[in-house]
Amino acid sequence: MASIATGKAGTSELFMGNEAIARGALEAGVGFAAAYPGTPSSEVIGTLAEVAKEGEIYAEWSVNEKVAMEVAAAASFAGVRAIVAMKQNGVNVASDFLMNLNLTGTKAGLVIAACDDPSALSSTNEQDSRPFAKWADLPLLEPGTFQEAKDMTRWAFEISEEISNACMMRTVTRVSHARGDVELGERIPPSKNARFTATSPVDFTPYPVPFKHHQLIAKLTKVRELFESSPFNRYVGPERPELLVVTSGACWFYSLEAVKALNAGDRVGILKLGTTWPLPERFLQKNLARTERVLVVEEVAPFLEGNLKEFVGGQMGDAGPLTFYGKRSGHIPDSGELNPNLVAKALGSVLDLEVEGVSPEYVQKAQQLTGSHTHMRAIGFCAGCPHRATFWSIKNALKLDGRDGFVTGDIGCYTMALGPTGYFQVKTVQAMGSGVGLACGFGNLARTGFDQPVVSVCGDSTFFHAAIPALLNGIYNHSNFTLMVLDNSATAMTGFQPHPGIGKTATGETTPIVDIEALCRAMGVRVEVTDPFDLEGTTEKLLDLLRDDGGVRVLIAKRTCGLVRARQGEPDYRVHIDAEKCRGDDCGCARLCTRVFQCPGLIWDAETGSAKIDEVICSGCGVCADICPAGAIINEAV
Amino acid sequence: MSAELKGPQELQSEVIDKQLCTLCGACVGMCPYLVAHRGRIVAMDDCSVSDGRCYAFCPRAGVDLDDLSQAVFGVPHVDGELGIVKEIVMARASKGPTREQGQYGGTVSALMSFALREGLIDSAVLTASDETLMPSGTVARDEEEVLACAGSNFVASPTLAAFHREAATEAQRIGVVATPCQALALAKMKASSLHQGNPIEKLKLVVGLFCTWALRYEDFIAFLEERTQLTEITKVDIPPPPAEVFEVHTSSTCVRLPLDEVRRFIRSTCDLCIDMTAQLADVSVGAAEGVQGWNTLIVRSQAGRELVAAAVAGGVLETTALPEENLEHLKEAALGKRKRALQGLVDKSGSTEDLLYLNLSGEALERLLA
Repeated sequence: MASIATGKAGTSELFMGNEAIARGALEAGVGFAAAYPGTPSSEVIGTLAEVAKEGEIYAEWSVNEKVAMEVAAAASFAGVRAIVAMKQNGVNVASDFLMNLNLTGTKAGLVIAACDDPSALSSTNEQDSRPFAKWADLPLLEPGTFQEAKDMTRWAFEISEEISNACMMRTVTRVSHARGDVELGERIPPSKNARFTATSPVDFTPYPVPFKHHQLIAKLTKVRELFESSPFNRYVGPERPELLVVTSGACWFYSLEAVKALNAGDRVGILKLGTTWPLPERFLQKNLARTERVLVVEEVAPFLEGNLKEFVGGQMGDAGPLTFYGKRSGHIPDSGELNPNLVAKALGSVLDLEVEGVSPEYVQKAQQLTGSHTHMRAIGFCAGCPHRATFWSIKNALKLDGRDGFVTGDIGCYTMALGPTGYFQVKTVQAMGSGVGLACGFGNLARTGFDQPVVSVCGDSTFFHAAIPALLNGIYNHSNFTLMVLDNSATAMTGFQPHPGIGKTATGETTPIVDIEALCRAMGVRVEVTDPFDLEGTTEKLLDLLRDDGGVRVLIAKRTCGLVRARQGEPDYRVHIDAEKCRGDDCGCARLCTRVFQCPGLIWDAETGSAKIDEVICSGCGVCADICPAGAIINEAV
Repeated sequence: MSAELKGPQELQSEVIDKQLCTLCGACVGMCPYLVAHRGRIVAMDDCSVSDGRCYAFCPRAGVDLDDLSQAVFGVPHVDGELGIVKEIVMARASKGPTREQGQYGGTVSALMSFALREGLIDSAVLTASDETLMPSGTVARDEEEVLACAGSNFVASPTLAAFHREAATEAQRIGVVATPCQALALAKMKASSLHQGNPIEKLKLVVGLFCTWALRYEDFIAFLEERTQLTEITKVDIPPPPAEVFEVHTSSTCVRLPLDEVRRFIRSTCDLCIDMTAQLADVSVGAAEGVQGWNTLIVRSQAGRELVAAAVAGGVLETTALPEENLEHLKEAALGKRKRALQGLVDKSGSTEDLLYLNLSGEALERLLA
């Protein structure tokens, strides 16, 4: 990590895209960084937080993206360059502030890094953040390489200050999370003269709105002019290509590779755009005039495609007749990540070329090579994960209760309880905190005949992020549900970032712990705390809460994340199986541990007809000993 | 016995889903999947076993009366209203706490205490209720523990789960006080070849209870709770006809509820039960109608006969002749229940060919309905 801060100008470093963004911010003299963690954005601020430990800059994990954008805006207002990072869902959270910040404007450079997750590799949606820039009338940059990720970040601060407004930069997972060489530039120190000075009563407000709106549009015109000469926009290809590929971001590489694979370099030109809103119109006009056919290659939404068509529609006379191919024509898939193969298919289809794609032998060889090193298993909770134990108890409590109760889910590792690892207990998942909001609604349907118990689950970090208002709503409106806070003392899914309940800040400083139990009690509801590893106790507490109909009840299942525990020291137990006692497939067990409980630390040995402990994976939590009906799983204290 | 392999899926679809479950507890306590909870059998997870003991032992699935009679008595089923009867008398515990604490004559408590004391059995599986009147199986090892379980609250109890638990311990000689459905389940265990982990050979004595119905826990308790403090209840009783009341005694008072109101909470499966007198027990015990302080005692097996003889000789049990009219009345009641149940089964299935849990030939059905 040191190289992010200490790497010398002119040297080259292997950086992850998000690290390159962090370095770019440092080269721009950033003094303030904030984010709520979210894949694939987390390393931007995570990396800057490491640098912030040295004290030169400030970095924080905010409780949610809206707050993150607000704290960053405050720094900007006070003359300190600031960066805020978030995943695509986070932009929605921040958007309420964003849609007022744009009218308000900024002082020192403010950069919004929005990292999108096409194919939703670690998300509940694959939303495209780019329309937000257009919607908010803010400039938008899209880096395609790691070098660009750094350089564009630095430039984004300059643009922001040029127009006194925020500048947005959009990456995708394959830019944020891949690594490549980055040549470093000079760092400039952050401002040490932070001061808030309003020159007029409405300086830091959107008022008067029509006037500020008009100013905002004028700023956009200025940005367009800046973009006309940007080196991040370039054309490579024949003077008059048969087909012009217009692309941005990671799709640029897919396009280059596809053209090369089809050996179509003499027929296809590639127009790579790094500045995708507002469009550099003269630059576009020049390049669109090269051809009559355009294929737009982009991921998630037909954002560029729509904007290009809109532009061409207004310039019909100059651009001449153009045929567009892309998502609307079906040449580019309407959803999911792209790859060179998909782009090659689109090219082949437009140019009438035979496309071989990846040869079956190559696929087979790749599978052999990777297969020899990896063990196939379903997505699921880690060995020793408290969530597995919690959902075991939730399942049992709801079964025993017998009134067809169900669980509204939320965002975190525990979302996986949609599947077998959580015994299919979670039935709904939308946005951060929305499981609690849904529970509020379900819990107020009694007048329309609803009589099912409702359990809402949310993690500790999610609780702070967005569950508290929904919980308050439920209490205020006499809703009837049980909220389970699955407190594993970590923002585990995004990489163990601390949060208000941990007692540590992003830079490792000690800070007061916000006690979830005390907070809930202060709201006046019944609160119980349980250790999820106590299966019987947790089941009984939940059963009791389910029966305690009327009002909101809270059950906090508190047990540190298994991975955090594993890093902290020795396991609790050495677990082994008495093969003599193991009932295996027989009536009386039917492999409860490996077939139903399904901790990856347990494996079935068909040869001996007994379960076995995978000593490499087992974390020694000892929970499986409590579910074994034969007492064959034995916990030995370490 | 049917050779079909059936397991938990069929238990669910053929018994539980059809409201045939008696909550006897025969399917509970052998595996982690089936659990008794507040008057219901709950399948916690999907079990993959295809020939499960849960189905094999269920008294509401695949019942062949001849097979069961063979397994228990070594002879085929007899059609008589009261089943196999070696002897039928009135009995009561000899003077002492047993007679005072028993529901009627204290015969059951006396026999179990005696069997424990004499080492005929080393554990007695009985039914006890907690402070919320929830009954469950428990194990008694001496007279004091037996007396703690004396009396019934008429709520169905998954008592046989305790038999499975006890059979899995070091205990070698187990006695069970069983309702007719529970005695039937124990007979199915004897007749079944699926015994792993629960050696039925440990079952040495079954004292059956006369039973006409049992109540559902959840809504009956809610009903009672509205009328009295559950924790104050010392005893519940149904005095003999024509009283038609359900008595709830507390330390200070007695609430008399119309029996018809209580009947609303009878488990529907009880109406489909053909056995009022626990025909597959070693001895069966019920109230002696119209004779205060006495039980009716039916001796069915050789082991039962020896136990009763020893208990009388040992001075813990008194017997006397059962008045003829009582016998007639008992037969009439047992016959009536059987006929109503058989007709109920035909009505429920819609066919005389399908008696749901009973494997009975058309000819046998006709004979029993005659």
